[in-house]
Amino acid sequence: MIPRNSGSSTGRGANALAAAENEPMTKVLLIEDDSETAEEITAELADRGFEVEWSASGIEGLDKARSSRPDAMIVDRLLPGIDGLTVIEALRKDQVRTPVLVLSALGAVDDRVRGLRMGGDDYLTKPFALVELVARVEALLRRPAESRETTLRVGPLELDLIERTAKRGDRVIDLLPREFRLLEYMMQRSDQLLTRAMLLEEVWKYKFVPATNLVDVHMGRLRHKVDGPDESPMIHNVRGAGFILRTGP
Amino acid sequence: MGQAHIIRSNTFRWALAVAGVFAVFVIVLFGFIYWQADQYLIARSDKMIGSQLNFIAGLPSERRLGAINDHLKQDSRGVQYAGLFGADGRKIAGNLERFPPDLQVNDSVQSISVERTLPTGRETHVIRAIARHMPNGDALVIGREVDETREISHVVAQALALGLLPALCLCLLAGAWLSMRAQKRVEEVNQRVQRIIAGDLRERLPHRDVDEPFSRLTVIVNGMLDEMETMIHALAGVGNDIAHDLRTPLTRARLALERGRTNATTLEQLQTVVDKAIANIDQSLAIITALLRLAEIENSRRSAAFGTVSLHEMLREVCDIYEPIAENKSIDLRVGVQQRLSVRGDRDLLFEAVANLVDNAIKFTPEGGRVDIELIRGDNETTVRVTDTGPGINDQEREAVLRRFYRSDKIRSAPGVGLGLNLVAAIVKLHGFRLAIHPGPGGRLEVICPDQQSG
Repeated sequence: MIPRNSGSSTGRGANALAAAENEPMTKVLLIEDDSETAEEITAELADRGFEVEWSASGIEGLDKARSSRPDAMIVDRLLPGIDGLTVIEALRKDQVRTPVLVLSALGAVDDRVRGLRMGGDDYLTKPFALVELVARVEALLRRPAESRETTLRVGPLELDLIERTAKRGDRVIDLLPREFRLLEYMMQRSDQLLTRAMLLEEVWKYKFVPATNLVDVHMGRLRHKVDGPDESPMIHNVRGAGFILRTGP
Repeated sequence: MGQAHIIRSNTFRWALAVAGVFAVFVIVLFGFIYWQADQYLIARSDKMIGSQLNFIAGLPSERRLGAINDHLKQDSRGVQYAGLFGADGRKIAGNLERFPPDLQVNDSVQSISVERTLPTGRETHVIRAIARHMPNGDALVIGREVDETREISHVVAQALALGLLPALCLCLLAGAWLSMRAQKRVEEVNQRVQRIIAGDLRERLPHRDVDEPFSRLTVIVNGMLDEMETMIHALAGVGNDIAHDLRTPLTRARLALERGRTNATTLEQLQTVVDKAIANIDQSLAIITALLRLAEIENSRRSAAFGTVSLHEMLREVCDIYEPIAENKSIDLRVGVQQRLSVRGDRDLLFEAVANLVDNAIKFTPEGGRVDIELIRGDNETTVRVTDTGPGINDQEREAVLRRFYRSDKIRSAPGVGLGLNLVAAIVKLHGFRLAIHPGPGGRLEVICPDQQSG
């Protein structure tokens, strides 16, 4: 795998899946008052190689966030004592830049919550799939670094952002603008599980879930162009979760 | 409803109060009449005794005795008094035994009391009397009893009794009758209302075809009940639809899990079952999400976030996103834009609305069909029109299609939650736009955006 630009120094979370023995584990702080939900999330994240710390209240969570410096945080919006968003604001005031994933009830997504994505954080509405949660946490940990590179490379795949051209090895791939955007987004996040909801929000800027399986249709077309009949597939469909772009099988 | 009930009722109390006021008024009136009559009679008798005095005094002294006796003789009722007294107070003639002590001899009529000897004994009478000195030194007294006024007061009292008592009784009867009538109507209304509370939504309050307040009130309340009945039915329909749409995937999930628990022997089999269950649960959640989203849009006051939305760009984008889906179904998806047009609104919501219209159009158009998205400029309005070659929406379905959760039976098998058009309607309403659904064959839906008043 050819490394995407020079972001490796900040991309500690990239190794979380591998859970390398000599590297410190990625630490995630979970602030969630419902113990059953917290247990499920903790178990799932632990399986994926994260070290999870759990707080049931905003005040306790704020203390832990300040003392143990986690790599990412998952914060429930509605907490006893202080509101989840208040916790985040307090941390930001202290110059703590830890990326946060806010869990919000379905009906309670307001402008403050929507604003999170602008600030590099993210939110997820309850109920959510655990896969979605993990994918989002990983995405937060591996935010693509600002880069001046004008060419993206993943394995044999090459994307020229200036010329707007794509190549796989020597084969030129003819892409429509929307397909180009999708591939660009995926190449910036290679080896990372991208859920349908993430793609809809980020690539198509959709703020809602359409009735039709839009993402699958678009991905099908892109895959048809990227993966030739004799080539090893690069776009992988992870059943019930989303898609990954990677060189390996 | 007993006797006490009637007496306690407000109507009856009012009747009682009116009767009381009426009685006081009548008594005061009669009192006034009595007083006036009394005054008049006294004035008349005063005048009479004054002229009698003048007459007798004007006679020569030798004829006075005869005149006095004649005067008294003519008085059959015994109400006249007369007396001639010498300068020493000695009685010369008349029916007065002695000169009344409290009578002033000053030629003016006064009220005095006199004693009179009758065969039955002596009696004291209050009379009106006048006295004058004769030229020869005698004192002439003429008087008259005014007991007639007492008779008049008797008559007045009788008249009062005869007139007032029936009037009062009538008042009380009318009060009781009105009170009973009102109680009866209230009781009638109460019974109907109890039936409505018990769940009979078709029950209405009784009303007569007359223009009176109570009837008008019942007409108003009935109108309200009509409205509520419609709303409750609509709500119940929504409830049924939701229950049905939620129950179906949950039942499937439950069955899958139940069967999987007993029958699955390998991990793969169990995973298949669980995947199926998760998919069904996700579908239930999608319905809840859509419902909450609908409520969110319906309740939102997002006009603060309104900006200028260029519709031509938006339509191209929607088309761009849906093109591959249309292509998969061999549907010809086209955008027709006459000119660049913009409206004021929330871009995300309008995008969602148009995307939903296109989504629906593609979903219900058979393979090989065609879907057109057009942007049209009309008189003071901008229209986004989505037409397709599908079955369209017929007249009966048009209303219903905008109800939450309605999905045409013909297309129950088509994928999707069935809230698409409801969302569109909610978004359109939020913007102050109009959603027009034209009858089939062929679907034709329009979002009509009237121009905003400048200013």
